[in-house]
Parts: sequence; structure tokens; C-alpha cells
Amino acid sequence: MRTVEEIVSSVFGVERDTVDDNSSPASVEGWDSMGHVNLVAALEQAFNVSIDIDDVMEMGDVQKIKKILLAYGVRS
Amino acid sequence: MKDWMEKLGDLVREGSREELEKVPELQSLLEILGQNLIGAGRLGEATNLVKTANHQGLRLSGSVYRQLAQAQVRSDDATSAEATILELLKRDAEDVEAQRFLYRLFRDSGRMTRAHAALNRLVELDPSGGTATFAHRERGKLDEMSGQPVRIAILSSYVLDPLVPFLDVECRRAGLTPAFYVAPFNQYTQEILNPSSGLYSFGPEIVFVALDLEDLFPAVRGVPPVDELAKGRDEIRGTITTLVRELSSRSKSLIVVHELTFAGSSPHGVLDNRRSDGLSRWTEDLNRDLAEDLGSQAHTFLLPLRQVLSRTAGERGQSRKLYYMARMRHGDAALRQIAHYSMRYLKPLKGLTRKCVVVDLDGTLWGGVVGEVGPEGIQLGPTAPGVEFVDFQEALLNLTKRGILLAVCSKNNPEDVMPVLREHKHMVLREEHLAALRINWRNKAENLADIAEELNIGLDSLVFLDDNPVERELVRQMLPGVLTVELPKDASQYRSTLENLTDFELLALTKEDEQRASQYQANRRRQALERSSASLDAYLHSLEIRAEIARAERHHVTRLVQMLNKTNQFNTTTRRYQAPEIERFVASPDHGVYVLEVADRFGEHGLVGSAIVRRERERWCIDNLLLSCRVMGLSVETVLLKRIYDAARLCDVPQLVGEFIPTAKNGPTADFYQRHGFQLSGDGDGAQSWTLDLRVDRIEDPAWVAVKVSGE
Repeated sequence: MRTVEEIVSSVFGVERDTVDDNSSPASVEGWDSMGHVNLVAALEQAFNVSIDIDDVMEMGDVQKIKKILLAYGVRS
Repeated sequence: MKDWMEKLGDLVREGSREELEKVPELQSLLEILGQNLIGAGRLGEATNLVKTANHQGLRLSGSVYRQLAQAQVRSDDATSAEATILELLKRDAEDVEAQRFLYRLFRDSGRMTRAHAALNRLVELDPSGGTATFAHRERGKLDEMSGQPVRIAILSSYVLDPLVPFLDVECRRAGLTPAFYVAPFNQYTQEILNPSSGLYSFGPEIVFVALDLEDLFPAVRGVPPVDELAKGRDEIRGTITTLVRELSSRSKSLIVVHELTFAGSSPHGVLDNRRSDGLSRWTEDLNRDLAEDLGSQAHTFLLPLRQVLSRTAGERGQSRKLYYMARMRHGDAALRQIAHYSMRYLKPLKGLTRKCVVVDLDGTLWGGVVGEVGPEGIQLGPTAPGVEFVDFQEALLNLTKRGILLAVCSKNNPEDVMPVLREHKHMVLREEHLAALRINWRNKAENLADIAEELNIGLDSLVFLDDNPVERELVRQMLPGVLTVELPKDASQYRSTLENLTDFELLALTKEDEQRASQYQANRRRQALERSSASLDAYLHSLEIRAEIARAERHHVTRLVQMLNKTNQFNTTTRRYQAPEIERFVASPDHGVYVLEVADRFGEHGLVGSAIVRRERERWCIDNLLLSCRVMGLSVETVLLKRIYDAARLCDVPQLVGEFIPTAKNGPTADFYQRHGFQLSGDGDGAQSWTLDLRVDRIEDPAWVAVKVSGE
């Protein structure tokens, strides 16, 4: 299974080893509001889940994404 | 590093296959070894390991290669990093991350053409929205390629910005360099009505207008009564018609309005289509109104969004969530389809319509090899296997109805093939449908170049369909201008692959298009006559050419625009005017627009020439003069020039000036003015002017053409 870091890296086309728990829209090029929609679509597809909109809004960095995905039964 | 690693490293270095094969879990151990070597900075050994593994047929995971390449970049050795990545791509051509890495290497070393090509390949490997967006963003950092520019504007009632990366991908694939303007969210009305809006200062060549039914008529989400529906329908029609009219009056762009779709389920359930207030019928009527209004103008179109979206049925549910989240209406799959379909407008707008499909025979038009199994043994008939080929042939034949030519290029013996073409009961395509035939054992690139020459069209007008990947690769490499289609292995996908191509669109269909196939047949008879004639002069006289020349009228505009945008060879300035400008020229007293129709003893060529003249007091300027390639070599261009010459003399104008802008393709026009007695009077900025003194010089019609002048 792919990790959240891998998905972030491939959605925004940044190198894998530049993505860590603190990566967020402030540090990743292309992670704007449209990019966020693409990221959510990629996460939903990779982990086969449908993420609630309020959770989508809370996904402010990689660490938060991982924490929210835990609630959907995804260990990443 | 641990002892076992050093030992394993020695084994790899020695390259003893037998010893290596004895190692249990070899692949995982090699990967761990690779990672450790990279970690320890022993990059030379790691490189060696990767090479040996490849050599021995062991699949190391792609991440070892990528980590190695990254380490090589960090140690300032981009050349080795590139070699490592290419090694990985050689093994696994579809490794997206490797492709992305390769792109970065090209970008960082300033190799722009290769960087653009690497991005093209990347979006092909990963068609997701994320990667399309990445590619679009990166293009902004690269120097532009020399592709033909195109200016695209998008007006929408919802968030349609994410369409841009997908359209960018499609444009680049077609060799276009696009510039985009996306009007601020839901401000389409202001953008259209305000003459100093961003839209107009951008100066678009094409405007897509995408409005959502729910935004125009929110009541559609409820259960609107019949009278409210009727009122809504009128209002929506009025709104869109007004917007399009205002937009047309301020911009000469092509306007493409998206159909209105109703994304929800009808509140009436299965009863919907039997009720007078049913929503499906209402939507249908509404779109028919729009089709009618937009269809009455040459430059306004209705994009069949419902048909486009039907290819992405699975995504409908997702799209509502996107709306709640981001005021978007379409997900990735839908956007990809919309972008793909949009090219059907963009390509003809930019003169990229292809004119001829060249097909292979064995394995392409029928199953099996006719030279081996004979005409009765091939797969072609009403049941499978065979029906898929009949279906494919029908789709090819359909293309000829809009003027696309068909030709055959096959490695075969003519005596094996001709009986199939002439007599096989289930062949749909017959000899008479084919504009050219090359059945021989020469290489296909030569044959294709030959066909282009025979039909007098450019190589970039050809589409090549062949089931053999080796032939395809040959043609791709030798003739990159030809569109070589990646035909799927499964013949039941042939028809949809053909129908999915966006390269055969015309923005208007003319009489000439419908007759083209039979005109080429007449051409073959003409060539037979040419071969039997004693001299060129005798041949030209025996053709019994008749030319009719007239001032253009409104009903000529469609064909004129088509010729202006398609003609490359005999075209003095290649100025690509669109319908509104031509209509203005036709109506204006400062311009003369002439049209030339030609016929001969074998049939009519139709409207095949035109000239646009700017009439100034002291001189007339020939802004553009063009001739369809079908009638090149008959001297009928002289008839056009003679007509302008006569009119100018009649008006006592002292000078006639011909403008000439050389392009890669209009070589046949280069000496046009010179051989009619014009003197070069200006040359600069890529344009020449040639002048004829009307008080002295004369122009005569060719002796073998019977000229009829009508009008004026």
C-alpha cells in the first residue's frame, strides 16, 4: 500500500524525500485549494474511502491527514 | 556495512551467475545491499550492482534506481543520474516517478525540447489531474517550444479552472502552445458585457462558455410547475443568445457553448418522460433551442456535453461532492473527456485537420494474411471473428462523407489483394473509395511520402493505421509529421479508436467536402489522360477547363473560411481569417473578395480559389490569394489575377500590389507574382511586396481555360 507521503509526492510532483509529517500547503508547491481537491481524490482512490467534507477541510498537513485517515481505518 | 553485504558485493562484481543463483532471497538481499551502498556513498559500486542485476535478469525495485540517481544528483553527477534513470526506464518504461525524475534532469540542465517531451510522456503515463496540473505548472518554468500558439478563454458559472491542465496536455499533444484565460468564478456576464474586461484584453481565438443548468435555473432542483419551466426555458435561451451576440460583436473568436445538463435525478422518477413537466424532455428541448440559435452562425457552436459526459458515467456521484467542496462540477475523468472533445474545435480552428487516412490491409481491414489463407480464408463477415473488421470499415467509409480521403498501403502482392477489394462479398471499402493504393514490398515510410505527393497534400495531413507495431515505429521515426495511431491489439477496439480521434473535424461542411472522394476518382482518370497526351499543352487543352469567377457573396463565406484555414501550399500570405472578418470584407466597399469555381470534362472541382483585395485609392493590395491543391498546375490562378487586374484598370488605379509571406509550406507560391510580371518592391519582417504597373504591364488568361465572369 502507498503511504500518504508517496501520494502527496506524486500528486504535486515533488521529490519523495522532501515530504514529511510537517508538509503542508505552505511548504509544497501546487498544494493550493485546487491541488487539495486533487489530493483528496487521490487519497480516496488509494485507500478506497470517501472522506467527509469537514474532514477534508481539517487536512492541513501530512500528520493531520494520517490522523484523520486512522478514523477511516486506514493505517498509513 | 555487514560482512554478508561485502561478500554479496564481491559475488556481484565477479558476476558469477551460478554462485549468485545459490543465494536465497537474492533479490531482497541485493536491494538491501544497493540501499546500503548508496547510504555509504559508494555510488560506483551501486551503479555496478544495478547494471549487473539488469544483466542477470534480476528485477531490483525501481526505488533502488531512483535513490541511486538522487544520490548521484546530490554529488553533482547529473550525467550518471540520467544514465541510471534511463536504465530503469529501459526496463520499466511505465515508471511514472522515473519519468518525472528524467523531466527534472532535462529541466535543470536547460534542455527545453527534451523537457517538454518528457512532460508529454509523463502525462501520458499518469493521466491524473494532479500530474496534469504539475505538468501545466512546470511548462510555465520552461522556455516555450516553437509550437503554433493558441489563445483559449474559459467563462463559467462554476469553478472550471481544473480544466486548464487537461486542455494544456491535449494542446501540447497536438503541437500547440496554448495561453489560457479563465474568467473569475461566475463573472461571465460582466466579462462579456464590459468591453474593457480581462476577457477582451486577453484577445481569445476561442471562448468556451460553460454554464450549469442549476446555476441558471436553481428551481430545477425542486419540482417546478409547467408554466415556470416554460418561462425558465425562454429566459435561459434569451440569456445565452444575448451573451453570445454581445461576445460576437466584441470579439472575432470562435464561441463554443457547453450543452446544459441536468445532473440530478428527476423528482418524477420513471414517470418523468411521460409528463409535460418532466425534466428530461425539458432539458432536451432547451438544448435543441440552443443548437438552433448557435447553429445559425458560422462561428458559434454547441458542445454536446451530455454525450461527452456519458463516457464517464461512474463519476457522476463524485461530481456533487466536488461542488460542495469547491464549486466544481466535474471530476478528473469528465474534465479529461471535455478537454479531449474540445480539441475537435481547436484543431480545425488552427488548421490541424488531417485530410487522409492510410490503412494497412492484413490484420487491419480484415483478420488474417490474405497471401496465406486466400480471399475466402480472411476474417471478414457478418459474425465474429470478422464482424469487427466490417464495422471498422464502415467507420472509415463514414469519414469519406465529410471529405476525408482513404488510401491503402500494404505489404502484399497485388494479385492476392485486388480480388478481395473487387469481389469479396463483405468488403465495405472498394477500389472506388480509395484515393491512392500502394500494394508492394517497399518500406511504408516511402510509400506514405509517395501517397502524400500523389494526393498533393502534406505529410502532416496523413493518419496512419497499421496493426503492426514495427511498421508503426518505422513511420513514427521516419515521418514524425504523420499521425501514427497506436492501434490496440484487439480488433474490436478499432472502430472506437478511430472515432475517438479528434483530427477529422470541419467547422462547416461544404459541397466540396461531400464530393471530394469522387473528385479524386476523376483525378485518377485525368492522370491517365495526362500520360496519354503528347504534350503538356495538348493535355491542358484536352481537359476542357472552365473557370467561373465572381465577387464573393454571403453564401460563399463558409467555404472561404474553410479554404483560408486549410490551404497551405498555394497560399500567398497564409492569413487565417474567420467568418466574421470575411463577412465584413464581403460587405465592405474597401475590399474585393473574389471566388473561383473550376470544372473540366471529368467533373466539377467546385469553389477552389479565392482572393482578398484591399482597395486603396492609389493602389490595390492583394491581401491573400489562394488555390486548392486539387487545381494546382492548371494556371487557373492566373484567371484570378486577371480578374483583379481588369477591375483595377477599370477603376483607373495605377498600381496592383501583391503581398507574399513565405512559410515552410507555400513554396509553390513563391514565384507567383514574379512570373506574372510583378517587380519586388519591398522585403522585410518576413513579408514581401510585389508591384505591377497597371499602365504598362499586362496579364492574359491562359489559352486553355474558358473563363466566365459573373456579377459586377
